[in-house]
Amino acid sequence: MSTSSLRHSAARPGSPHTPQQQLRSANTSFASTTSPGSSFRNEDDAIIFEIGARWLRAGFEGSSAPVCVVGLGPEESRRAGDYRGWIEGDSGARPPSQPINAEDWARDYELWRLDLRQTDIGLVEDKIERLFREAYNQYLLTDTGTSRLVLVLPSLMPHPLLSSLLSTLFSRWRFPTITLLPSAPMSATAAGLRSALVVDLGWAETTTTGLYEYREVTTNRSTRAMKAVVQQMGRLLSNLALQDSEEEVLSNDISVGFKYCEEVTCRLAWCHPDADTEVTEEQSSSVSIPSPENPGQEFIDVPFSRFAEPVEKVLLAPDISEHDLDDEEKSIPLLVYKTLLDLPPDARGTCMARIVFVGGGARIPGLRQRILKEVSKLVERYGWSPIRGKAVERQRERLAELRISTQSNGEKPPVKATTTATSPDDEKSDPSQEEPEIDFVEQKLRRQNKDTPVPVQGILREVESLGAWAGASLTTSLKIRGLVEIEREKFLQHGLAGGTRDSEHPVPDRRSGLRAGDRSSWTLAGWA
Amino acid sequence: MSRPFPYTYISCPCADTPVPDPERKRRSRESPRKPTQERTETQPEDSQKAKKEEIQAAQEEDEEQTFNPRSPRSNFSLYPPEQLLYCEDCHQIKCSRCITEEIVSWYCPSCLFETPSSMVKSDGNRCGRNCFNCPVCTAPLAVSTLENVTGNGTQQGPWVLSCGYCMWTTLDIGIKFDKPTNIRNQLQKMTDATAAPAFDTRSRQGSRAFGDLKSPLSTLTSIADGQPTTKDGGEETPTSKEESSETGPSNTDARFAALKSFYRTQISETSTSPSDPLGSDFGFSSPGALNRLMSLYASSSRLSGLYGGNKKSKSKPPVMREALTASEGLRIASENEESAIIKRLASAEGGWDSVASIEQRSQQSPDVRFVDELLPLPALLRTKRSKRCKSCKHILVKPETKPQSTRFRIRLIALSYIPLPTLRPLTLPSSMTAPPPPPQDLNALPPLRPVHVLLTLKNHMFDPVRITLATPSVTPGRVASKVTVLCPQFDIGANSDVWDEALQGASAPVTGDSRMTGLRAHEKVPEAGKVWDKGRNWTTVVLEVIPGTLPGSEAETSTVGGNEGDENVVNGSNQDEDVLEIPVFVHMEWDAEAQLEQQNVGKASKPDDLVARELAYWMVLGVGRIQDGF
Repeated sequence: MSTSSLRHSAARPGSPHTPQQQLRSANTSFASTTSPGSSFRNEDDAIIFEIGARWLRAGFEGSSAPVCVVGLGPEESRRAGDYRGWIEGDSGARPPSQPINAEDWARDYELWRLDLRQTDIGLVEDKIERLFREAYNQYLLTDTGTSRLVLVLPSLMPHPLLSSLLSTLFSRWRFPTITLLPSAPMSATAAGLRSALVVDLGWAETTTTGLYEYREVTTNRSTRAMKAVVQQMGRLLSNLALQDSEEEVLSNDISVGFKYCEEVTCRLAWCHPDADTEVTEEQSSSVSIPSPENPGQEFIDVPFSRFAEPVEKVLLAPDISEHDLDDEEKSIPLLVYKTLLDLPPDARGTCMARIVFVGGGARIPGLRQRILKEVSKLVERYGWSPIRGKAVERQRERLAELRISTQSNGEKPPVKATTTATSPDDEKSDPSQEEPEIDFVEQKLRRQNKDTPVPVQGILREVESLGAWAGASLTTSLKIRGLVEIEREKFLQHGLAGGTRDSEHPVPDRRSGLRAGDRSSWTLAGWA
Repeated sequence: MSRPFPYTYISCPCADTPVPDPERKRRSRESPRKPTQERTETQPEDSQKAKKEEIQAAQEEDEEQTFNPRSPRSNFSLYPPEQLLYCEDCHQIKCSRCITEEIVSWYCPSCLFETPSSMVKSDGNRCGRNCFNCPVCTAPLAVSTLENVTGNGTQQGPWVLSCGYCMWTTLDIGIKFDKPTNIRNQLQKMTDATAAPAFDTRSRQGSRAFGDLKSPLSTLTSIADGQPTTKDGGEETPTSKEESSETGPSNTDARFAALKSFYRTQISETSTSPSDPLGSDFGFSSPGALNRLMSLYASSSRLSGLYGGNKKSKSKPPVMREALTASEGLRIASENEESAIIKRLASAEGGWDSVASIEQRSQQSPDVRFVDELLPLPALLRTKRSKRCKSCKHILVKPETKPQSTRFRIRLIALSYIPLPTLRPLTLPSSMTAPPPPPQDLNALPPLRPVHVLLTLKNHMFDPVRITLATPSVTPGRVASKVTVLCPQFDIGANSDVWDEALQGASAPVTGDSRMTGLRAHEKVPEAGKVWDKGRNWTTVVLEVIPGTLPGSEAETSTVGGNEGDENVVNGSNQDEDVLEIPVFVHMEWDAEAQLEQQNVGKASKPDDLVARELAYWMVLGVGRIQDGF
């Protein structure tokens, strides 16, 4: 092995080569790169769209932030020539005429719901068309459809939605290809990581994705997400409004405007970074916010600490015990813990030191720290074991007793042993908390490659990401081709069904000069 | 309701054929459980299939539903008549969904300077001059000088951007400019470098001089250049430390640049080696390629040539690693930052007004949270676009390139081809008994009381047109109003020379007729089957409308019509449920005379035979708002 490397290193300087790679790396993204290997129409910068249930981010590859972030609420889905939004002000800012069910309240502001029974696909298509057209005409200011399109999508997307999205884009404009990139790996890329636990605190659901070397290993999801937070905030504000009128009907319906409520959530929602610390003086002070009933004119004072309530109640679910939670509504710390638990130990060690928070909820100050603290508490309490329950606890205690009694030759009474159940002795019994043995192989390996830094492992650490959009922009500007590249003609012929179901599609080699395979078939990879 | 009553909207026919072709196929294919009949249809050749399906779709649509103006989808297909275009080749109405657009020129709406296309992208689609919008209220900002400094008369003090509406100035964020020109560049230089320690700049009084900006700027560029060797990476670390403590570039742009250079380095490190067959992107351009080829053929097997021959020799191919230091773009979240934010939110100077709103933030860099981090926004450029028909590529609109000019070279607006519908209430009938009543308040139509409205269609074509109107007898939706078109079939005269009318009027009783109608206004009663009034190129008919009752007010809720839309109505536009909108199907027929068409717009002419043309579309008449109760 060493001889061959010697030989090679000796041979290396002998072979002359032009330093083209460096040239390429010096290329700015704006210069048109026409490397022959990359996909066939590269004159223009690819345009990257990240699309979710609430927002569309659009911009050019190689830029650090999207050019625009647009949503599609009721104001944006008015008829052409309907200027009421300008005349009367945003309807979402005013309280509705009567309390509305929380789901209906938010429905108009969503592009789609993951539950497609409640989604009119035709309407979604209309909205997507308008959204993209306006994004191009107002912000991107390039001809639509001439350049490659990159879509950043969550890795789990209902097929009818995906299909209507693609067919709308392909049939409306002449996009040569559409590349799909999964959002979780892109978020990790934008954090500079290869393995990560991506926690996406999104609108409809929170997803935690364990990534190892860019591959999604596990995904868990929970309905405790920003929609629920905004709804809860709506209830809080509605009740504030009701308190003023001394009606004190704690209903689940919401009687404040959606936009107003979202605004409050965005501006003032926060979370105690640490559950145990006392509320400081400042935090108990009150903040004046526009009154829920008449946001234009009046202001009311609300204790600042109240704005932490919805976030904590919804996302952390502190007063609900774990077994009362359904599978789809685990609190976020539990979800993170569960995802880590699902990972193989090696990947777990790597991922837990690389937790990336993205999505709207990641902006809530204090929340991320709180989640990490809760997770570490869970780890302290249970270790990395999925087994719960009284019987297990009892058995654990019994085991501890046994060990202690053998240690002390059975002299100590068992009562004492139970009290010492939490002694450090007992913790040793958990392998995850034992001092690792000194691994000679490991040590040797370390010694061998001293220059390569040891990756951080096994501690809970949060890494900040620039977001999935930026990740996609990075990836695309580096001329890395996505696995899922859908060509126009192919799609128009067969639709989604044309993609091979084979998720292990032969990976087109980014670096080979030739196009890998004939690309006669395309895959949906993870989306299939 | 969207405009003052009464109003008219036209639904672009493209809404009836929303079928992007693959979608149909997809649907038929994707659900294999569906009866095979549709599937077998998809087997034959493409064009045939497409046609068939289109027909099928059209038929489906036809029998399926009358147009429902209450369905949330209708919002996307209804246009005011004046916004529609018309394609002369396809003989079809075109809305903004069935055209493609090409950008003719870019210009700044504020200074009306045209931006060359090469500059647009590098300017970030925003004006590169002095046009800025207020980040707080979006009003345009003015460049003004600070008076206290300019004591000596010649205006040379530091300059600021100030908003005349909300009194925001760049002083609020501690930015002053040295020159009143080229502000965009000055600002860019400041923000590129200083946005990272944005928190500190608040406390740091006064303006930022260029001097202290220079060094971080240079480090930035050095990061961006990023030589692809690890040694250089080592060198970068101290410089970026100097830039902003040990957290590395915290600004989005800087982090992005750092990450990008990091990945570039990694890619080139792991893939550039002259003998690595997978390494080169460049085919045969490098001598290494020859090596590779030689080794390919020389080695006994392909496998060993590819992997054994090279990989073994290169004991360990470098593996891409993750970013490890701040200079490589890694950023570990710090605890203090967030608690500082919370503290600031809760503190006295924090609170509601100190935090940027969603709208303000949407235009800014993603890091921005507080109002004092908002930067002035360079004005977003606008475009002049030419429009083509999506199906035949015929140019429909072509504006002049110059931003100052509002003229068009080509503009085929639909109103020159389809009759302009106008609506007004008829107040005459009740005037028999009483003195003329006050004009009906269209914002409060009493339910269950018949209203007559006059629908006038005005023809702009040079050919007479035969019109057939059809309307569902009961409007779709929960509020069911009964509608009758008293005269559903009529002709509209050609848009002939105005002189014709005048001359005719002198001899024929056209004008006299209308005067007559004016005279015997009392006697005139809307009659079924009779046109109300008629002029040179317009015809008026009467619609009798009986507004339905609002659900909740009276028990009468009929479920006739709009069954498929009902659910949507409940979900969506509850807000406008009391608006009385009548969908009317318009079918027009005319004999296009080639000669006349040629006169009209220079179109390739055929011999002067008559071509029968027809056009059909839905329009929506907004009559008024139904009163709640009597």
